[in-house]
Amino acid sequence: MIKKPNTMLLIRASILSVAVSGLTACGIDTPKAELAYAEATIHAAQNMGANNYAAVELERAKNKLQQAQSEVKEDNNELALRLAKESAATAELAQAKAKDGKAKLAESQIQESLKIQLK
Amino acid sequence: MKKLTVKKLVTPVLIATLAVGCAELQKPQSLLDAEKAYQTAANDPIIQKYSADQLANANKTLLTSATATSEEDLASIAYISSTQINTAKHMASAEQAMQNSKDLLIQQGQLAAAAVIAEQDQAQQQLLAMQANEAEREILLAFGKIEFVTGTSDLVPGAATGINMLAGYMSKFKAKEVTIAGHTDNSGSDTLNQDLSQQRADFIRNLLVTKGVAESRITTLGYGQSQPIAENTTRDGRQKNRRIEITFK
Repeated sequence: MIKKPNTMLLIRASILSVAVSGLTACGIDTPKAELAYAEATIHAAQNMGANNYAAVELERAKNKLQQAQSEVKEDNNELALRLAKESAATAELAQAKAKDGKAKLAESQIQESLKIQLK
Repeated sequence: MKKLTVKKLVTPVLIATLAVGCAELQKPQSLLDAEKAYQTAANDPIIQKYSADQLANANKTLLTSATATSEEDLASIAYISSTQINTAKHMASAEQAMQNSKDLLIQQGQLAAAAVIAEQDQAQQQLLAMQANEAEREILLAFGKIEFVTGTSDLVPGAATGINMLAGYMSKFKAKEVTIAGHTDNSGSDTLNQDLSQQRADFIRNLLVTKGVAESRITTLGYGQSQPIAENTTRDGRQKNRRIEITFK
């Protein structure tokens, strides 16, 4: 519940920053919001059990975030922005896969208990 | 209101970049694939039902390709949008599984409730069966004492108890049917005894009917002297043979 307004804020912030960068048409500022958002999304995915259900995606999201952070140090902010966005999208996928995996497990467990009940 | 200003900002930017940028960028295969995957997902009824919002994000990402300024940009857009489409698929699948679980739990609850009701029903049936057995025994006992005025189908006083009990039993156990069979001793002719036993059985049936028992639940039989249960040579034996036999089913 708390996450949603944050997400909206971040989306708005990123749209604004894209717009601004388009206007200036040259180097952009450090994509702090995108980096923070990617990091938060990765944490949330871990809390949802992505380690068990989406290990590959979680690892990829972490790698992309690390790369983004290194690019920031090199002042490659455009590349960092892309990587941060990719990291966040990947972490969102990890969340969805974790949710999906857990929901399917629950369903099969209920199905199993129903079978026992029907015997 | 903020959104509006953003849109107002974006449009001129879009035009500006298109004007400034030289040739339009060639869409990489990965982007074409993502666009195709988006179309497929958009037609998926489960995604439409459960994760339309998430899929809309993928569409927004795909639309940004119009303002992309480099091939790297386009590749990134392709990666992000196809990831978002995948996310939408998993979200829909998760929602579907949760819905299934909910349905299964409801089914499980209904089954459990049905089992409890069946158990209660069975206990109730057992109790009723016991009560019926008990009542039947008492009725048989009472009918054992019923006597008729010799040669007639009139009951001697005091015979009403058994009939009242039988009437009460029939009104309580609606599914039960009763057979009333009349028997005589061997005094008198066969035909006469046959008629007399039938008349006595019918007499009891008529009493039951006046007490509200449906006629269809009562069968009457007259056996006359054909089925003695004691010797007809003694008074005692003959009295035993003059009898009404009740059977339930």
